[in-house]
Amino acid sequence: MNYVRKLLLARELAAGLGILRRAAPRRDFPQLQGLICAQCFRAVPARSIQSSAIRARAELTSSAKSGKEEESRSGALMPFQELFEGDRKGDKDKASFTRAVEIFCQRDIRRRGHVEFIYAALKKMPEYGLERDLEVYNKILDVFPKEVFVPRNFIQKIFTHYPRQQECALHVLQQMEDNGVTPNYQTKFLLLQIFGEKSRAIRKYWRIMYWFPKLKHANPYPVPDPLPQDPIDLARFTLQRIAADLSAKVTVYQMALTDITDAGKEITQPHIVGIQSPDQQDLLAHHNPDRPVFVEGPFRLWLKKTCVYYYILRGDPLPPEEREDVIDPERNFYCPLSLDLDLDQGIWDDEEFDVDEVVEGPIFAICMAGAGDQNTLAKWILGLQHTNPVLSQVPVVFQLTPGPDELPLATDSENGEEEIPQSQHAKQEL
Amino acid sequence: MALSFKLLDSGFFSNRCHRQNALRPLLGFLFTDRSSKWYSSYRRPGTGPDDAPSWKMNFSFKKELNEIKKNFELLKEEVQDHLKAPKGNNNLNEYFVEQMRVAWEFHSEKDLDKWVVSSDAVIGGKSEAYLKLGENNQTALLYGTLNTEVPRDGETAYSGYCAMRTKPLRRAFGRMRYYDWTNFNSLYLRVRGDGRPWMVSIYTDPYYALQKDDLYCYFIYTRGGPYWEDIKIPFSKFFLSSQGHIQDNQYELWLDKISTLGFTLGDNTNGPFQLEINFIGLLLDRTHTEEFAYEKYPL
Repeated sequence: MNYVRKLLLARELAAGLGILRRAAPRRDFPQLQGLICAQCFRAVPARSIQSSAIRARAELTSSAKSGKEEESRSGALMPFQELFEGDRKGDKDKASFTRAVEIFCQRDIRRRGHVEFIYAALKKMPEYGLERDLEVYNKILDVFPKEVFVPRNFIQKIFTHYPRQQECALHVLQQMEDNGVTPNYQTKFLLLQIFGEKSRAIRKYWRIMYWFPKLKHANPYPVPDPLPQDPIDLARFTLQRIAADLSAKVTVYQMALTDITDAGKEITQPHIVGIQSPDQQDLLAHHNPDRPVFVEGPFRLWLKKTCVYYYILRGDPLPPEEREDVIDPERNFYCPLSLDLDLDQGIWDDEEFDVDEVVEGPIFAICMAGAGDQNTLAKWILGLQHTNPVLSQVPVVFQLTPGPDELPLATDSENGEEEIPQSQHAKQEL
Repeated sequence: MALSFKLLDSGFFSNRCHRQNALRPLLGFLFTDRSSKWYSSYRRPGTGPDDAPSWKMNFSFKKELNEIKKNFELLKEEVQDHLKAPKGNNNLNEYFVEQMRVAWEFHSEKDLDKWVVSSDAVIGGKSEAYLKLGENNQTALLYGTLNTEVPRDGETAYSGYCAMRTKPLRRAFGRMRYYDWTNFNSLYLRVRGDGRPWMVSIYTDPYYALQKDDLYCYFIYTRGGPYWEDIKIPFSKFFLSSQGHIQDNQYELWLDKISTLGFTLGDNTNGPFQLEINFIGLLLDRTHTEEFAYEKYPL
């Protein structure tokens, strides 16, 4: 015990504590002592002895500075908050964020407190709108000091070496994963340089690089990122997606327009975009004019984080007496009406599930509009009459549910959710 | 010292678990209310301490009688099935060449009772999920609102999920029963969604307690719009995850030990959602020859 204490004392002296005792102001002393002890045990002894005197002075000045800073930002709840709030008046953009990171890196050559700084930076990223920017993530990982946390012997390799720092890096990678940011070679080199191979952080990197490309194209209905800004382009993309028919044709019935008439009255015209396939036109042409068709909506569609609404024109399912009898080929054994033989199939092969089809009316057309009121949708029906003359004879019933304005929709502006304004609806006959 | 106390304590708890497990085949259904507490002393933040002494069960004679009756009925069924052919497949030849099977349909409230709907409300979140029959009694409609607001309990980091899952099959006296889907190689769904991606997760027999959180998952991407769409997912695509983490060592899904099937929504998007399911089927796709979609060699 005595021997150990002597050793420690010798080390402390070597680390220049004596000089510090003389030079340090009374107030800063306990803090400094703690800092230096911690450093002595962690760092490589040879290096700490060599550079002790210079470092001690550097620490002295920096700690005095940070003491003043601590006083000035006594209201801060998070460490390093002042770095990100320094240019509160300026824009919160990539340049100011990287500047904050650079300021931190230049402040102290040993990057003291980098773990806290990285956590703070991760938390601030969504505020700056940078949570999907790979360069910024690499910049943040670059804050870690290099080659210090690389394990040097097998015992360090077995146990997690510098667990707090590795966990911090895991948090960075986790946030990248949550936002769907695929790391690149620079990320890999940084992690290799910081934590060495077979560390937890680099394993996480390999995991991401295995699963991300594997599931990247799993979605058969991909959504472009970012979505088209123009509402008509967005409507065109949406309608083509939900119509599920390559022959369907998109028609723009009305462009969005805001105009002021001579009388000083403001006129706003919402856009109306519709889609109809030749099959649907055919169905509508054969529709019995005595039966009404229905305009229904709004129905919801999610394109990643954006919600759009569409309306459909549909008919009622046909009553059983009006349905055409399909004559199946087995009606006549001697002279089959059609023969559909698939010789690759065995007689026991069946390709149909034993379920009843859901009985629903046919859908004649789909549209998206800037406003969901009846007048706007009536304009859509008028537009449809050019290509479907039968619509002028068929009664059209508007069955509009209350729009999303009236629905208790949980909206949040930070998700960039778009909503198309809707107005009052009523069930009326045209 | 403290550590040894802890070990003793855990030993005591595990002893109790074993004793309870030994009783389970016969009397397990009597303990269903309290069993969850015995496995773990963990308490979520925000919930009050459970001070009720262990001998105070909410014991109702009538309820227990009903349970016993139900269990003996199940036992009778089991014996009958063993002597005769099982209910669904009377014809063995038919069973061997079966290529399509409708596993779940939704025609009545009884079909809905086979499912459990849950959301992050159980961990203090604010999502809501409901299940009801469709208008023409042919579909199930799963709807609700997703809310990613994290509960303020100081330890939850993520929130916002809604899920629907089948109840596991049980034999008499609480013994497990599993689906055997070895005849098939794909899952087949007829759904109508609203453009949101869902996750299908399959839970298998947890043979070792270590495997109790294992789930085999894959995604369904809905197109949205007014039309029904058919989705086919080969079982070879399902990847292994445990407690929400994809595992490094991947294993194939064992199709003879399927316990439950579920759908989960958790796409980090606040707002209402809706998924209409017509039926869930199983399919033998003879063109699909892939055994497992992920590498099984050690990396």
